[in-house]
Amino acid sequence: MTRTERILVCCGTGCIANGAYEVARALEEQIAAQGANAQVDLKVCRTGCSGECEQGPLVRLMPRDTMYYKVKPADAPVIIASLEGDPVTKLLYRDEQGVRHEHQADNPFYGLQHKVVLKDVGIIDPLSLKEYKAAGGYEGLARALTMTPDEIIDEVEKSGLRGKGGAGFPAGRKWRSAASYDVWPKYIVCNGDEGDPGAFMDGSTMEGSPHAVIEGMIIGALAIGAETGVLYIRDEYALAREHIQRAIDDAYAAGILGEHIMGSDHKLDLSIVRGGAFVCGESTALMNSIEGKVGEPRPKYIRSVQSGLFEKPTVLNNVETLASIPTILAHGGEEYAKLGTEKSKGTKVFAMVGKVKHTGLVEVPMGTTLRTLIYDIGGGIIKDRPFKAIQTGGPSGGCIPESLLDLPVGFDTLVEYGAMMGSGGMIVMDDCSCMVEVARYYIDFLCEESCGKCTPCREGLRQMRYILNEICEGRGKEGDVELLEEIGHMMQVASLCALGRTAPNPVLTTIKFFREEYEEHIGEHRCPAGVCAALTRFAINPQACKSCGMCAKACPTEAISGERKQPYSIEPAACIACGSCREVCNFNAVLTEGR
Amino acid sequence: MAKTYDIVIDGKTCSAEHGEYLWDVAKRNGIEIPALCRSEAFPEHRASCRVCIVEVVARGRSKVVTSCVYPIEGECEVHTNSPRILQNRKVLIALLAARAPESDLMAAMASHMGASEGYERLEPLDAGKCILCGLCVQACESMGTGAISTVNRGVDKEINTPYGAASDDCIGCLSCANVCPTDSIPFMEDSMTRTIWNQTFELSRCKECGRVLGTQQMSDVELCDACRRKAIANELAETYRFV
Repeated sequence: MTRTERILVCCGTGCIANGAYEVARALEEQIAAQGANAQVDLKVCRTGCSGECEQGPLVRLMPRDTMYYKVKPADAPVIIASLEGDPVTKLLYRDEQGVRHEHQADNPFYGLQHKVVLKDVGIIDPLSLKEYKAAGGYEGLARALTMTPDEIIDEVEKSGLRGKGGAGFPAGRKWRSAASYDVWPKYIVCNGDEGDPGAFMDGSTMEGSPHAVIEGMIIGALAIGAETGVLYIRDEYALAREHIQRAIDDAYAAGILGEHIMGSDHKLDLSIVRGGAFVCGESTALMNSIEGKVGEPRPKYIRSVQSGLFEKPTVLNNVETLASIPTILAHGGEEYAKLGTEKSKGTKVFAMVGKVKHTGLVEVPMGTTLRTLIYDIGGGIIKDRPFKAIQTGGPSGGCIPESLLDLPVGFDTLVEYGAMMGSGGMIVMDDCSCMVEVARYYIDFLCEESCGKCTPCREGLRQMRYILNEICEGRGKEGDVELLEEIGHMMQVASLCALGRTAPNPVLTTIKFFREEYEEHIGEHRCPAGVCAALTRFAINPQACKSCGMCAKACPTEAISGERKQPYSIEPAACIACGSCREVCNFNAVLTEGR
Repeated sequence: MAKTYDIVIDGKTCSAEHGEYLWDVAKRNGIEIPALCRSEAFPEHRASCRVCIVEVVARGRSKVVTSCVYPIEGECEVHTNSPRILQNRKVLIALLAARAPESDLMAAMASHMGASEGYERLEPLDAGKCILCGLCVQACESMGTGAISTVNRGVDKEINTPYGAASDDCIGCLSCANVCPTDSIPFMEDSMTRTIWNQTFELSRCKECGRVLGTQQMSDVELCDACRRKAIANELAETYRFV
């Protein structure tokens, strides 16, 4: 009998950038060179993102579950050889004590996750309908086809699924209300316009499990009575678009899409609309964009489920929400509702980036604390520096300080503190991050990405950017913080769309939790984090300096000098306060002072 | 007949039809809510200036809405000048005054709403009167010309023709300039030509009295209204002379 063995090569965007395609090719060449083995059906399988991007390219041998990290094409021969014998030690996960571990779950980054949306991502070949089906794909749809629309919606309501794009609106209620309108046609739209800086949850889901998104859409279409669906995918996601298109084509060919869905009397046509802008993630702007109009939010007090795309009842769900649907239908809503908290059911995918040791794509049950995410899954802060804040929810979210790290993550928990879980972007910051500068960064991003239609958002952001620039450049004045708050509070009530109403969050939350940092910038002309160049002076702590010379090498202005076995020093007149020295110093010997 | 409700605006009971916009109900009852991006000329409103925000209390809950597009769908109590509204409107006007430093209207509104002092820290633009309300674009679209539009996004948004070049679609009708609340769209006219949006149009004149009719692109009518009436009257008189 032949054994099936697979070499899974992560071909998510991050691993591709690190050379995953070359690794896959080298493995294939190696297999070909060794010749066919009648006992083993061995294939290299290019999968979607398996999660720990910064340790990529990742390779996993199945079914023996040996996980290799940071693989290079030159490692191909030893990897192939290890199929039969001991694993290649140097490519295995190494824990803090230096012990190597073979299996994926031995690495806490993976071991503490619970995958529902991402269950097939990193396991199957996203371009293979056969593999998706073998993993249980389209079973949810098969069950849905035996149910009435009401029963499908009941199942989704039982699951407690809420919109994972950020707003957290109950998915079942949205479907039921769209189903209640006796209007033809209706539309189902998938929001794949993920635009938060540092977020790649939806992109990875579309890349790694495109059929799950499509299956979710078909089930949604059955529930509300839509025969047309649109996937709105941002143009930067070329790979996601390619995979979704291939999945759509394969689904048509297999009779899953088209006139008779799996042989039934139901029909559905799906197509991709290329688009993308941060503001087009807002539901009505997205629909305007699909219609070929300017991507600006609509001013109407009418919900999309009643009058959405082309003024017809429309359900707009985010990628992750739709990708949760197949599991709910296949295994029942009650099963899904066992995960998570009372008000936030199921799991949530996060893209964890920043100053954390293990960055990447993480899926955990709702209710997991931020501390677990950062310290257990993420492995803590790089160089074990002190944690300062975590930015959640993208530009609409806020910065959460250490004191709130034990909050269980959910749709409502963070909102009380002016932040939000949002779509799942998480940026971890250490003590080298200046919170005023962080606010300035996000406001600068929003200044360009706001649609500019309504006064509060457009003019509010412009003035906020001006004032924050003044503060960061050492020209802050007394009253600036209060003015920022005044503008921010106005934006929260008067903006046209949800993005405008949440746009001041980065400023308001940093003021709320790090007000003293603003005051130090303004009153003492000092940037405690050593980021704002106009307010920073660097110095080397002679006790901590080991005279390694790394700082001098990194300094772009040659302001640092020193000799062997003597502490190095910085010439203040030549220093431009760029912070490169601090970044490279392995002994935390570079200190910051105010100017 | 549509359902009607009794709503209370600033203490005054007003009757409103189902779906009617709050701003219109207030106006009919003599309550003026300031608004900059709203024109009677159009049935739908852009709700972009946000100056017409008011507070609506319904079923025990208070929310801030944009009155020009808020449809009445039940009984409610409305406050057009609550402290919360006045505060936020003041900030809005201060921001718009900084956006349009040369606009007399914005300066007058700022002084009226107490926004001309206390906001010196805001950075005004170097010049200009445009508040980006978008009425000009709406006017151009409803003329069927679509020669101007908002371009760019975010803080760099502005009103212009495509690529800022002379547009083949523009007919020089001045609808944009006439609807502008801050007179920010410049145009020039001499006895023969009119110049607007980087383009000069030949003026057409009534062939009888010589009055300016508009640009040649606007229509091929040859007589002004008065001369046309006179011509028709003459023709009628000629036709029925013997009756």
